[in-house]
Amino acid sequence: MRTEYGAHPTEHILDEFPERTRFDVVVIGGGPNGLISGAYLARAGLSVAVVERRQEIGGGLSTEETLFPGHYTNPHAFYHMMTEYLPILSDFDLAAHGLYFVRPNAQAAAVFSDSTSLVLCNHIEDSKDAIAKISEADARALGRVMRTWRKVVEEIIAPGTYLPSLPPIDMVEALERTPLGREVLRLTEMSPLEIVSEVFTDDRVRATMLYLACMWGLDPTESGLGFMVPLMIDRAMSKAQCYGGSHKLAGALSREIHRSGGIVLDNAEVTQILVDNGQVRGVACFDGRVIESSVVLSSLAPPLTFGRLVAPDEVPAEMQEAAAYWEWDKWSFATLSVVTDEAPHYRCDDPWVDDALMVLVGLDDTEDVLSHFREVAAGAMGDRLVGHATVETRYDPTLSRVPGHHVSFLQLHAPYDIEGGWDSREEEITAQLLALWRERCKNLDEANIVMRSLETPVDIERRLASMVRGSIKHGDYNPLQMGAFRPHDSCVAGRSPIQGLYLCGASSYPGGLVIGGPGYIAAGSVVEDMGARKWWEAPRFVRRYEERYLS
Amino acid sequence: MVSDPRFDVVVIGGGHNGTTIAAYLAKCGLSTCVLEARPECGGGQENTEVSPGFRIDPHATYLYGGAAPGFEQLELWKYGMRMVYYQSMAGIATLDGQVANMGSRWRPDIGEESMRKNSPQDLEGPNRIFDQLGEAGTKELLRALFWTPPHPAGTEVEPRDLPWWQVFRKHMPNLWFDELVDMSYLDFLDTFVHWEPLKALNAMAAWYCGAHPAWDGMLLQSLGGILLFTYASGAPRGGMHTYAHAIIRCALAHGARMVTNAPVDEIIVRDGRAVGVRLAEDAAFPGKTVWADKAVISAIDVQHTMLGLIGRGHLDPSFIQRISDISLKGGSLFVMSVVCRELPRYHGRDEAFPEEVYPSCVVAPADSLEWVKRQTRDAYSYRRAPELRPEHLTMMICTHDPYDSTRCPDGYHVLSPIYLEMPPPIYDASGEHQVNQQKEEITSAALALLRQLAPNMTDGNIVEVFVNTPEDSEFRNTGMVGGNWYGIRQSDDQWFGNRPIPELGRYRTPVDGLYLCNQTSHPGGLCLMAVPYNLMHVLIEDGVAEPGGWWYPAPYYVPPGGSPIRAGE
Ligand SMILES: Cc1cc2nc3c(=O)[nH]c(=O)nc-3n(C[C@H](O)[C@H](O)[C@H](O)COP(=O)(O)OP(=O)(O)OC[C@H]3O[C@@H](n4cnc5c(N)ncnc54)[C@H](O)[C@@H]3O)c2cc1C
Ligand SMILES: Cc1cc2nc3c(=O)[nH]c(=O)nc-3n(C[C@H](O)[C@H](O)[C@H](O)COP(=O)(O)OP(=O)(O)OC[C@H]3O[C@@H](n4cnc5c(N)ncnc54)[C@H](O)[C@@H]3O)c2cc1C
Repeated sequence: MRTEYGAHPTEHILDEFPERTRFDVVVIGGGPNGLISGAYLARAGLSVAVVERRQEIGGGLSTEETLFPGHYTNPHAFYHMMTEYLPILSDFDLAAHGLYFVRPNAQAAAVFSDSTSLVLCNHIEDSKDAIAKISEADARALGRVMRTWRKVVEEIIAPGTYLPSLPPIDMVEALERTPLGREVLRLTEMSPLEIVSEVFTDDRVRATMLYLACMWGLDPTESGLGFMVPLMIDRAMSKAQCYGGSHKLAGALSREIHRSGGIVLDNAEVTQILVDNGQVRGVACFDGRVIESSVVLSSLAPPLTFGRLVAPDEVPAEMQEAAAYWEWDKWSFATLSVVTDEAPHYRCDDPWVDDALMVLVGLDDTEDVLSHFREVAAGAMGDRLVGHATVETRYDPTLSRVPGHHVSFLQLHAPYDIEGGWDSREEEITAQLLALWRERCKNLDEANIVMRSLETPVDIERRLASMVRGSIKHGDYNPLQMGAFRPHDSCVAGRSPIQGLYLCGASSYPGGLVIGGPGYIAAGSVVEDMGARKWWEAPRFVRRYEERYLS
Repeated sequence: MVSDPRFDVVVIGGGHNGTTIAAYLAKCGLSTCVLEARPECGGGQENTEVSPGFRIDPHATYLYGGAAPGFEQLELWKYGMRMVYYQSMAGIATLDGQVANMGSRWRPDIGEESMRKNSPQDLEGPNRIFDQLGEAGTKELLRALFWTPPHPAGTEVEPRDLPWWQVFRKHMPNLWFDELVDMSYLDFLDTFVHWEPLKALNAMAAWYCGAHPAWDGMLLQSLGGILLFTYASGAPRGGMHTYAHAIIRCALAHGARMVTNAPVDEIIVRDGRAVGVRLAEDAAFPGKTVWADKAVISAIDVQHTMLGLIGRGHLDPSFIQRISDISLKGGSLFVMSVVCRELPRYHGRDEAFPEEVYPSCVVAPADSLEWVKRQTRDAYSYRRAPELRPEHLTMMICTHDPYDSTRCPDGYHVLSPIYLEMPPPIYDASGEHQVNQQKEEITSAALALLRQLAPNMTDGNIVEVFVNTPEDSEFRNTGMVGGNWYGIRQSDDQWFGNRPIPELGRYRTPVDGLYLCNQTSHPGGLCLMAVPYNLMHVLIEDGVAEPGGWWYPAPYYVPPGGSPIRAGE
């Protein structure tokens, strides 16, 4: 009698996702970029499987109950920098489904040790008012420079985010066409420090601007990427928060994939990209499942895609090189999250600071900022640190399920390698971060703190295998890894030298953060190569740029 | 002006039952919208990565629904459904040094060997019921118990002819006698089980599978719960939330809308009919009113639905009182999750539970049935947390990672969940915050006891501990009344047509067009896709849903005016 069901544990009692399947397209990694590619391609009529290692899709778009029980944080991407531009938002009409971004006017404040402060706002005149307390000249300078920089973003950089990169020579030629383009070329040759020093005079203002310009990975003293300074500063005053948590954006994209007949397979780490004579054949997962497909998009960086997933003898020389020389981010993040009874209240001359989406602490002059980045790049959490803090629940109360509680974080750049290792130094660094925060914040005493939790660079890598060494952008921002060189100049518009293998993640042009560029561009290439229906149109700001600079 | 959104069906609550009914109805071609209060659907089907790389189960943990028609009807395999089947599901450890590995459906030899060693006379006991029923018989019995809508009110049927007893009689004529229908599982254990630790295991297992062993007339429900557990002998790959993903994705693929951060504040009733819902002020959705042309389905608990969302003017006072009096006793759990480097080695013995056949769920200390009863008495009679002595603290200690590598990184293990019974917060004799105030005290007593049982569970071995009380569960998921995993008591007076109360027993309510689809309706808790499956029969009766050829009704389904089905005897 027993033989009927007493078999071995591979017997199935219900139908499961097959051991072997076939899709038109497989996307490796369900981060923002993988999901964006997947959503466009699924709606183009292709059968799409997005294959994700974690139990939750989203990659850097995660919202987790890290302050258990009852309090949620966004341990990775929190500030959404491109919501006015992201084509997915309008192409899929995501707001109609209840996806909202809150972009408060009070954007980025800085609190200095003498209790002076400034609040940079989305409304430039408000930013000027704030700076005028410190320096009338800088207030006027900000007004002037932002009129140009906002145009630089609107007219050149934002459109460039959603178009394939150009070879450097063509890029220069294109930009030479207009005065604005020539200004971009001029800035490119400058370092962030030179740019902010040229524009502003007061050192508090310079320090603030320098931090904002470099916080996402620019080296403050390196030239060659100066065109990103206007972008970073404009975006620092245009950030938004995803209501309900960043993961909702991932959920919205996954919904679009399923509505179009695609699927997302989670808990399914890809361990192999199957390549046969230079042509992609599919992927294999850790549990032996094989998904056949002649098109695979990988959102992972070259050392993972080519160094690990493709069999060595199938990796072309230029990709071996890309994998071998790839530089991960020069620094990662350490984030201290706290639950408090009272929201943080800053020690300064302007109560509006408390409302700012981001508050900078620990800086008084440019040297503070320079030494902060210097020390972190050298592998230390020094004693002159600068960080940015946010009350996550201020504009999104849904993140706390416990009435009356506030959830906030202080985030600092941090080296991946640290003496003694992160796990053993957690308590000490938590104390260090709290001390830094308390210097500028009145009420973060023990009595007010209900719970705390530190996410270290090692933790980032533990959650997201794509972010090796805690690389939030899958690879450093330096002139050799940006523009047409990201990830390698043999990969254009997401196409890799292996037939059918595309790259769609943060390690591809234009780069990291939730800007959606790599996923969008790769989807365009796939549709073109497969002759599928390109159902979407480039947004207006992109078309204007094409007319003005590329035609 | 944009007009308010309008759907055929609006579902309140995107937990297990809400998402499943949405998938069913969307598959029927109805425009369906789920409104979920939290930022994420899934309800009690949740896995949380508090600490990077470690997934804990704050609520649901095992797949009980293996026999659900939903897997076939909704074709969840298409949406990524995958299982991991375990070599051993259950084990026993006592304070006085005994251990037994009970194996699983896939490895009955392990359990047999343990019984031969510990208690040969129990080789033939209730453990053999699964064997005797066989795969098909078990499925049939489970479907009769759980996947059968309650009979229409007024259907005359003898208890012995209720669907599950019919199936039982059909398959086990030799075991049948009339008194069974009134027995409790404890009576049964006293009669048929010899080894005390095995009694404790069975009592605990029954209770954690649904029906309390002490409740009269719930013998087969208790056994059935254990059979649900045994039938699948495993969990979805990655945890229960992955199963929720499959359901949600199925619903989306069929065109359902799933809106999160959208708490419902009110069910709009016009002329005695539910016509839509009003969202809370802070809901994140373009319209604040959502209209439902065919039905409003409340997939949140019956008390919130009736007392919170419907204007009291629509209900009579005696009805309201009876809703308030529905008992919440039963499944309020104190849930601990422990990250550690080594699995518990009970009594320091490696060979007790070798890792390749490590029991996923260990009941310990299982010395005495009386200990289990004490915990129940503390929670439900004295209405307080159990006394912090081993004789009151029998625990279920669960782990998945020996079989599912996605749960944690190599070199670590996660014991999640570890359960203890508690009173529902509002019943606590010392006030609803009492258990939360005792959180640390209870946790350290439980961990001290764990160390007594398994000496390697030292502070050095334990990396992190996360605790979730019934009150915390209520915060996380406002639908989880009493932090009770089946919402309301699954006793005979709150079961089948009596669940939650007889007037609501067939998912209909006094308000036309308003249906119930939460664990507070039959057959209760667990992620079985059973409430929605059963409700489908009623929606078909009412002309709301017209499924295609993929649909099949329950064999023991009795339509209005029909007479009870009789299996040939
Ligand atoms: C602490 C922190 C703070 C940040 N803050 C911001 C911010 O405020 N604003 C902002 O815009 N950006 C921020 N970022 C950066 C942003 O999250 C990333 O740049 C972005 O998520 C990159 O998107 P992606 O889709 O390319 O890759 P990812 O988001 O990394 O997604 C890749 C996916 O691939 C999966 N994966 C990995 N290996 C495999 C495999 N073998 N098989 C299958 N799947 C695999 C991963 O699990 C992951 O889901 C932050 C990041 C971190 C870590
Ligand atoms: C500790 C514990 C252990 C468990 N173990 C298991 C197990 O091992 N296996 C198993 O199968 N089951 C298990 N369960 C049971 C299982 O989780 C529940 O039975 C199941 O989740 C019930 O589903 P539901 O849809 O009825 O309710 P829920 O899952 O509670 O869903 C209700 C949903 O409604 C939402 N909601 C509430 N109010 C509103 C409102 N006003 N507007 C909009 N939305 C609202 C909630 O946020 C929630 O998402 C366990 C439960 C607990 C607590």
